[in-house]
Amino acid sequence: MSTVGDWNDAAKELDAIVASFDEGEVSVDELFVKLERATAIIEALETRLDATKARVDELAPRLSKVLESE
Amino acid sequence: MDDEVIEPDEVLEVGAFYQLLTAQLESAFGRRHAHWVRGEIAKVYEKGHVYVDLVDAGSASSDAKRPVLNAHCWATQWAPLKKKLAADGVTLSPGLIVNFYGYVDVYAPQGKIGFTITQIDVQGLLGDVARRRAELVARLTAEGLLEANKQIAVPAVPLRVGLVASPGTEGYNDFTGQLLHSGYGFQIILVKSAVQGDAAPAQILAALETLDQHGVDIICVVRGGGSKGDLACFDDERVARAIAASSTPVFTGIGHTGDESIADLVAHTRAITPTKLGEEIAAIVESWHARHVRLPAQRLLDATAEVLDEATVYAAERRRTMIFAVRDRLRAEQRHLASTRSGLLVHSRHLLTSSAQMLASHRALLSAYDPKRRLAQGWSVVTNRKGEVVKSIDDVAAGDAVSVLVSDGSFESTVNAKTGVAP
Repeated sequence: MSTVGDWNDAAKELDAIVASFDEGEVSVDELFVKLERATAIIEALETRLDATKARVDELAPRLSKVLESE
Repeated sequence: MDDEVIEPDEVLEVGAFYQLLTAQLESAFGRRHAHWVRGEIAKVYEKGHVYVDLVDAGSASSDAKRPVLNAHCWATQWAPLKKKLAADGVTLSPGLIVNFYGYVDVYAPQGKIGFTITQIDVQGLLGDVARRRAELVARLTAEGLLEANKQIAVPAVPLRVGLVASPGTEGYNDFTGQLLHSGYGFQIILVKSAVQGDAAPAQILAALETLDQHGVDIICVVRGGGSKGDLACFDDERVARAIAASSTPVFTGIGHTGDESIADLVAHTRAITPTKLGEEIAAIVESWHARHVRLPAQRLLDATAEVLDEATVYAAERRRTMIFAVRDRLRAEQRHLASTRSGLLVHSRHLLTSSAQMLASHRALLSAYDPKRRLAQGWSVVTNRKGEVVKSIDDVAAGDAVSVLVSDGSFESTVNAKTGVAP
């Protein structure tokens, strides 16, 4: 399984997988492979998202302090 | 030449002479015959009492023969008069045209004839003050000095504040309190100055020049409320010109609401009180802070939250989509297989049925050809010794032994003769 690219590349790949399902292009033989790849991408994106949120949560109070200063 | 000797009728001693003189003067100019006298103040000196040299208005000081009236106002009378003058913003000073009401007195020890002031025409003085103020404003306007300081750009964040004030005064405390409690890092560079009295204009002028060279962002001149006399220094021409000449924006916060000094007119920005001036300067910084710090910070927070929300929704939506897509795909395949399976069963059953029918048909057909049926009907099967079925008369010869099969058995026979059948 290849690595997941940056957010935009990963999202494009994921969208393409979903589109192939929507269009009924996925055979049963391919189904598991595509599902596994889509799951890996989603988990990678969510992991990045959680990490980003955590870092934002650290920074947000510092920005909020700027807003509160009168 | 002989001098003419005049015999005096009556010779007076000096003291007696002054008594006579005083009596004569008092009879015409004394306390009961007081007069109004108008003149220009040439000199003024105050030490409890106030002493004024009054001359004709416009007379040259170089004129040694110009008449001078040595007027004075005793302390008991001067104190309330001074208070009244101060309240109206009037200070007795050289050059001022005044109307004094009083009477002549004689001070024999110094041989002086003086004038005791009992009243001062304040209304007249006020008119003169107003006239002089209007003339000053007109001069400053004509020279473009009212607008000069207003042309100087105020720094976006004026945190280095030059201050001309008297520390500890109400105005000073009000102004600095606003800056210190604003939460911003104002740096106040104070140059002390008197803000009332005769010495104030020169000190204010010097303070303005000092701060202008110091490199502050703005210069603030503040003074709390007071009488017009207290605030008179801010109508001083030297102060006005110093403000106009300053290369630093000068802000004023002088007096109460309603007071408007010439310094206010010349200044870059004028606030109605020291407190208000502090508020306005803090507001400038606050405005910059809001525009360049808080607003971007808020936008950053909003944009960050928006991106994260979108990403969260996207990931969740894709997760759901994949689950449903796979489930749908599997169900479709299951349906297809089930359908195929069902079709195969039907087809198989049909095939079996038709095969059975075909077999039955064949069986029926075959049964029609069953030799037993024919044997039962009376047909028989003849075979030779080799067991071969005799199908033609040519297959046997007379005398051959043959075996004849009938429906219930067989028997042996011999060919006696052969007879052909006509075609």
